[in-house]
Amino acid sequence: MSSVESERPIVIGLEVHLQLNTSTKLFCPCSTDYIGRTPNTNICPICLAVPGTLPIINDRAVALGARMGIGLHCAIQNYSNFHRKNYFYPDLPKAYQITQYELPIAVRGYIDIEGEGGLKRIRVHHVHLEEDAGKLVHPTTDGRLTGAAYSLVDYNRGGVPLSEVVSEPDMSSPAEAKEYVSRLRQLARYLDVSDGEMESGSLRVDANISLSNADGSLGTRVEIKNMNSLKSIERALEYEIVRQNKTLGSGGRIVQETRLWDDSEGVTRSMRNKETASDYRYYPEMDLAPIVLTDEEIERFEKNMPELPWEKRDRFSREFGLSKDEVTILTEQKELAAYYESVVNAGAPSGRAANWVRMEVLRVLNETGGSITDFGVSPAALAGLVRKIENKELSSTVGKDILDLMAREGCSLEDAIECSGAAASRLTGDSLRALISSVVEANADVTGIIKSGQDKKGGKMKFLHGLVMKESRGQADPKEVSEVLSKELGL
Amino acid sequence: MELYELTAREIADGVKAKKFSAEDVTRACLGRLSSLETDLNACITVMEDSAVAKARAIDSGLARGDEMGPLAGAPYIAKDNFCSRGVRTTCSSRILENWTPTYDASAISYMNDAGAILMAKSNLDEFAMGSSTENSIIGPTKNPRDLRRVPGGSSGGSAAAVAAGYCPVALGSDTGGSVRQPAAFCGIQGMKPSYGEVSRYGIVAYASSLDQVSPLARSVEDLAMALEVLARPDPRDTTCDAYDRPKFTDALLLQDLKGKRIGVFAGFEAEMMDAELYGALTSAADHCKSAGAVVEPIDLPIAVKYGVATYYVTALADASSQLACYDGIRYGAHIDGPTLADMYANTRTASFGEEVRRRIILGTALLTEGYYQNYYGPALKVRTKMSAEFDELFSRFDAYLLPTSPSMPYMLGMKEEDPTRMYLGDVFTVPISLGGLPGINISMGLTADGLPLSVQLVGQRYDDARLLGIASVIERIAGRPGVATPDRDKTLRRGGNGA
Repeated sequence: MSSVESERPIVIGLEVHLQLNTSTKLFCPCSTDYIGRTPNTNICPICLAVPGTLPIINDRAVALGARMGIGLHCAIQNYSNFHRKNYFYPDLPKAYQITQYELPIAVRGYIDIEGEGGLKRIRVHHVHLEEDAGKLVHPTTDGRLTGAAYSLVDYNRGGVPLSEVVSEPDMSSPAEAKEYVSRLRQLARYLDVSDGEMESGSLRVDANISLSNADGSLGTRVEIKNMNSLKSIERALEYEIVRQNKTLGSGGRIVQETRLWDDSEGVTRSMRNKETASDYRYYPEMDLAPIVLTDEEIERFEKNMPELPWEKRDRFSREFGLSKDEVTILTEQKELAAYYESVVNAGAPSGRAANWVRMEVLRVLNETGGSITDFGVSPAALAGLVRKIENKELSSTVGKDILDLMAREGCSLEDAIECSGAAASRLTGDSLRALISSVVEANADVTGIIKSGQDKKGGKMKFLHGLVMKESRGQADPKEVSEVLSKELGL
Repeated sequence: MELYELTAREIADGVKAKKFSAEDVTRACLGRLSSLETDLNACITVMEDSAVAKARAIDSGLARGDEMGPLAGAPYIAKDNFCSRGVRTTCSSRILENWTPTYDASAISYMNDAGAILMAKSNLDEFAMGSSTENSIIGPTKNPRDLRRVPGGSSGGSAAAVAAGYCPVALGSDTGGSVRQPAAFCGIQGMKPSYGEVSRYGIVAYASSLDQVSPLARSVEDLAMALEVLARPDPRDTTCDAYDRPKFTDALLLQDLKGKRIGVFAGFEAEMMDAELYGALTSAADHCKSAGAVVEPIDLPIAVKYGVATYYVTALADASSQLACYDGIRYGAHIDGPTLADMYANTRTASFGEEVRRRIILGTALLTEGYYQNYYGPALKVRTKMSAEFDELFSRFDAYLLPTSPSMPYMLGMKEEDPTRMYLGDVFTVPISLGGLPGINISMGLTADGLPLSVQLVGQRYDDARLLGIASVIERIAGRPGVATPDRDKTLRRGGNGA
């Protein structure tokens, strides 16, 4: 799977930050809807750290953190608390970040991914809650700090709730790391915990990678940040493997450091070293009462869990008799899976419906750049279409045109059939009789055999039927063809 | 009797009965303030106009027949670390010298809603760090019982104001004794409620796990009335307990101490405290006995031995983080520099006073990798042990008596040069704070020289009502403190130490 080779075993662990789907911030009632907002409008005395203010925990964020933990098979803690992570930076108004440190909300879990050699279990160390920082804006052409005469700070994002999922170092290739993030993102979306958009920053990944020594001991760990897509996670790790192998191969030494991925150059670069080793002086946050979850509350969270991706996959293959590939594609997004299920419930045969959703619906969405949630073709309409094809009332080719029409024009199945001309060009009555006569004439030898009563098994009849259907380019009704054919042959 | 000598209860009753107007009282208190303020230097901001306007509003409400709050017409002063909307809140620091909050602290809005009239913001040690109200941008506050002496701290301005008759009730914040000790030094009553009793929302934090809004007054009844207004669940402070508070003033119906068991601290070492205060403790114990209580000696070995160290480790660590938000970016002082780090350093070095800088530096060190394990971690453990020691005592006693301060109010400037000595003055107040327990400073009268004597009564956490009841019985025997009128002849002139 991986495009890079490494003679030294690769050890990768990931920290994934998910922006939680809450309408308000983690410790104040400000809106979390900061994208595109005028700077410093989603703020209040609390998230600006105005003297005298105190944080108030957002219960929804706690519930979502617990939900993510349950989805990752973690033990949800009855008692968890927050610490302060102290450091000065203009985007951090209190000069400390409130984060779960010693006692996070969920610990010891796992998620199964498709690894290099089949299913692989990646252990999750813990899931914790924390607040996001604001954003610095540098008025330079490239948006970087270097060369800026001044910087502006926007606190709209400050205090937005995040959950951080910290894995064990269980991944052994960039492809596995990418797969792990995909599965985690899928889970977060299934659980409505986060929209998991890497581009907008609602899913952020920090990677830790080391190459093991010949004796099997772990090598020096390097942290990589600033990867903005699944592809860039893979590329950054691949780059780093090559770099580290090259360094080690030429007798060099790996420095423990943080490196930034530059997507346009395709390289990682060492971040400017801080003057001193970072000491965040963690200590307990006393302004917040601890989070106490009773067994009953945890049970209620568990009961309210929606169907998880792997549960849906199992059920789809069991109930609908689909192949693994089909199931994987159909369940990738829970909205697509729900759409497919509705098509089947509306009476479409599961196998053909799977093909249509997976091939044609996704093709249309891909062409139009739309998403399944605002797809113009209702599951009932698609079910009707698939049924007509199944019954050979329409050919697949015509069906695709009809689907396109419905999606583009937003019209009903009937109107689309009408518009497509499939109804008008239908071969029936006199024109069908004319076609059949010509086929019968052109195949005198076969018709002879049938007429003489030698077609005991009906094979020759089927042959003729097929020829007619082929000549009609699928526009004839198979039942009518049988009737007219029998009449024509005088049977 | 002058109007400024009345208690909050007497004022509220008198205003409601239309014996005098709220404006009369407010003007009397403002008059008292302006006649003494040059001597005392107790206030950072005086809100004369808004106080009179509020008093008039109460009077016209009364004329209309509006429902009146329990503190209707009672002027009060709040320590200048309570946020007050539209009124500059300095914390006695250059870094907030020109900062005006956009919101009221919960305690301020509760008091205002109860009909009390905010008339001034009082002096304090910068960011409530100190025990003498000498570390201030406006200079030291003087003790109205003896102008040569400190009023205690850090709520020294509030204590001096109540003692001198500026107002019947004031608000302070007590972190390690910052209300009880100045109440003792100024000869009035002051109560630190249980941690979690009163919302901390809007008081500029020093140490989150210890700070508590605390009233000062010249009577236990006024403390109870203030607490009844202040103590309630507040959704803005999740450390403020949501439980249903009892009616604190009902506890004052207690007639005697029959059936009560009172412990009296006896674990003294020879030079631990001033002899007069030992005498005050003995007479308080005698009062309890005469009121029918069973009185027995107790010791608090862990609290007395480790309290001060544990307290300072906890509080300084918290302070270092709590004060980090003053970075010159969003509010407060800003002094530019060539780099971000220079700007931080310039702003904070020039705008924090020496004691605050000392505490930030010590607190930062205490949380640093390595030191944390040796100091902060153990401090948390000792705190737990100390709580166990208190719990054991409360299985045998309803309350106990101990000194508030080991020393009588000292002369201005005396301990400025020696912070460690000043820290040791907190030996009897900080353990109570660490335990989250309620503590009341009760005045025990004056010495022949006119210096105040007092004792500290401590109860179980959330037993504030019962504690007020016991305090009221002791007060009935010991006598309520009166208003102090400073003797200007006793003013000691010291160069370079004035306002």
